[in-house]
Amino acid sequence: MTLFGIAWRNIRQRLLTSGLTALSLALGVALVVATLVTGRIVNRAFDSGSGLGYNMIVGAKGSPLQLVLNSVYLISKPIENVSWGFYEEFLPATARADGVDGKYAASTRTAVPICMGDYFRGHRVVGTNAAFFDRLTRGDGRPFEFAAGGNFGDDDFFGGVLGAGVAANLGLKVGDAFSPTHGADDGAVHDPFRVVGILARTDTPLDRGVFVNMEGFYLQDGHAKPLPEGEAAATSPRPSGNVPLPFNQREVTAILLETASLPGLPAELTAMGLRTAINEGRDGQAALPVAEIRQLLDLFVRPLELLLLLVTALVVLVSAIGILVSMVGSSLERSRDVAIMRALGARRGHVLATVLIEAILLAAGGGLAGWLLGHLLVGAIGPWITTNAGVTASVFSAAPLAEALLVPLLVVLAIVASLLPAIAAYRTDVAKWL
Amino acid sequence: MPNPVIELHHVRKSFVAPGGESVPVLDIDAFALDAGEQCALEGHSGSGKSTLLNVISGIMRPDAGSVCVAGHDIARFDEASCDRVRADTLGLVFQQFNLLPGFTALENVLVAMSFGSARPDRRRAVDLLSAVGLAHRLDHKPAELSIGQQQRAAVARALANRPRAVLADEPTASIDTRHQQQVIDLLRDSCHAEGAALLVVTHDPLVAEQFPRRLRLEDFNRAARVEPPTARPA
Repeated sequence: MTLFGIAWRNIRQRLLTSGLTALSLALGVALVVATLVTGRIVNRAFDSGSGLGYNMIVGAKGSPLQLVLNSVYLISKPIENVSWGFYEEFLPATARADGVDGKYAASTRTAVPICMGDYFRGHRVVGTNAAFFDRLTRGDGRPFEFAAGGNFGDDDFFGGVLGAGVAANLGLKVGDAFSPTHGADDGAVHDPFRVVGILARTDTPLDRGVFVNMEGFYLQDGHAKPLPEGEAAATSPRPSGNVPLPFNQREVTAILLETASLPGLPAELTAMGLRTAINEGRDGQAALPVAEIRQLLDLFVRPLELLLLLVTALVVLVSAIGILVSMVGSSLERSRDVAIMRALGARRGHVLATVLIEAILLAAGGGLAGWLLGHLLVGAIGPWITTNAGVTASVFSAAPLAEALLVPLLVVLAIVASLLPAIAAYRTDVAKWL
Repeated sequence: MPNPVIELHHVRKSFVAPGGESVPVLDIDAFALDAGEQCALEGHSGSGKSTLLNVISGIMRPDAGSVCVAGHDIARFDEASCDRVRADTLGLVFQQFNLLPGFTALENVLVAMSFGSARPDRRRAVDLLSAVGLAHRLDHKPAELSIGQQQRAAVARALANRPRAVLADEPTASIDTRHQQQVIDLLRDSCHAEGAALLVVTHDPLVAEQFPRRLRLEDFNRAARVEPPTARPA
């Protein structure tokens, strides 16, 4: 019989105590794993904001963080809208009705408008144009891919594209019709759009977005801005026969900008200059999503994550103390057994090793069970995370490096915790106990 | 030609009494047990019988003298070496049997084997338990065995590592008269079959008189001639 076999038999002999010790350890580890994995998911999701194909967001004056959270992560509320005229200041002459370059056109490579405020069965509806999927990228720098169908054309006023999560959750497919509601899920029901494409999964907040052609969005009840007094509603039908909303009745919630380099200036300086110019004006504000998110992470998310990790690490430490208590109890109960084994010829080293192996088995068993439980926990709360934080979390989400270190660290902790009872067993007075 | 497997010369061992004075327990000029010999050692309570077995088995270190077991003077060995000699050359049978309660009869024998130099031999463990009539109780834990069966398992365990000698400390003290005879027969027959010497410590003359060699501890242990007060090890 090996020392491993003896240690295993000792554990089975005290099955209830050993089981409860391993369980407390497993719960602690499960909390640590869930915290680590969730933290990584949130960090990764926020970090993905750096590969979206735009580096600046322009919107109404207010909190720049709110502007970023609403526009990029589809959470929080829109601040307000900015005028269509302000949006046109970022467009080149060829894209403007008056044939003149916008004030900021030289500093702008791409400007994609988005309009928000509608919902479809719990999901944000984003009105935009075809450039959103044609010119921007999916968060990791790669172009958007469609799992089915494709992008809507600018002339397809009532075409819509669904994020992968929305299509999966609601069971919608290309060709299906869907009707957003105004302002909230229980708001007035708008005219139906038709699903023309379903995005491939991006593991970003875009997975839970509903994207519709902004021309159709503008034509819904309550979306047209009242005409200023004395102005006429100037518009003309498109080749498709659809009649768009006149420009002077339009607003946009935000403009996603990819800035250009002005001649002789590095791109960063151009962006900083543009941001300053916008923020000094009265029409709106410019926010840098990467900087805002970094600030959010540094000021709030990471300290909170650290605090959670500290609390859960304390839970694990308490569990390790549980091992210590269990092993001390076990040693006291087994002093006679230890003396018998010593009388049979077991060296002190054998006795020491048996106690340590027992602790390692408890730690490894509890640790692995906790690791599994932690992932099941993340899987279970995944839908809640997705709904509330806009990031995808599943049982397979992982924080590989931290997780790989967790169980070995736990085993080391268990060895340290079991040293005291191991030494007590080592010092057992054979003659006294026989 | 005598071939002693256990040989003691000028062994002295004292305990410290609660008052602090040293109380001699063993004072033996010479004692030997030959290979294959079977000997009963009698002595009154407190005469040092158990201390003598602990010294021979290396569980206790003598204050002076030599304790040769299978040719090794274990009084000069460090503790780990003593443990090794005990595991390889001695088998111990205790008054309370001292089977490990969480282990089956078979595992109790295998545990003893795991501390010896040879690899644990499951087949031999089964054979030993079968030889003492426990073939049908291999997977039973001590609590599931009768008193007699527990003592038989303890005998099988003592023989696990093919010892040169078996030391039995009052092996019949905890069992009824009918089982006492069975245990003595079993010990003697098993040791004979395995070629191991047998030293049985007993206070029962009926047990002692069955052995070809019968000694009274008081006859060769000067310290046993006066009954010592309650003492603790020095």
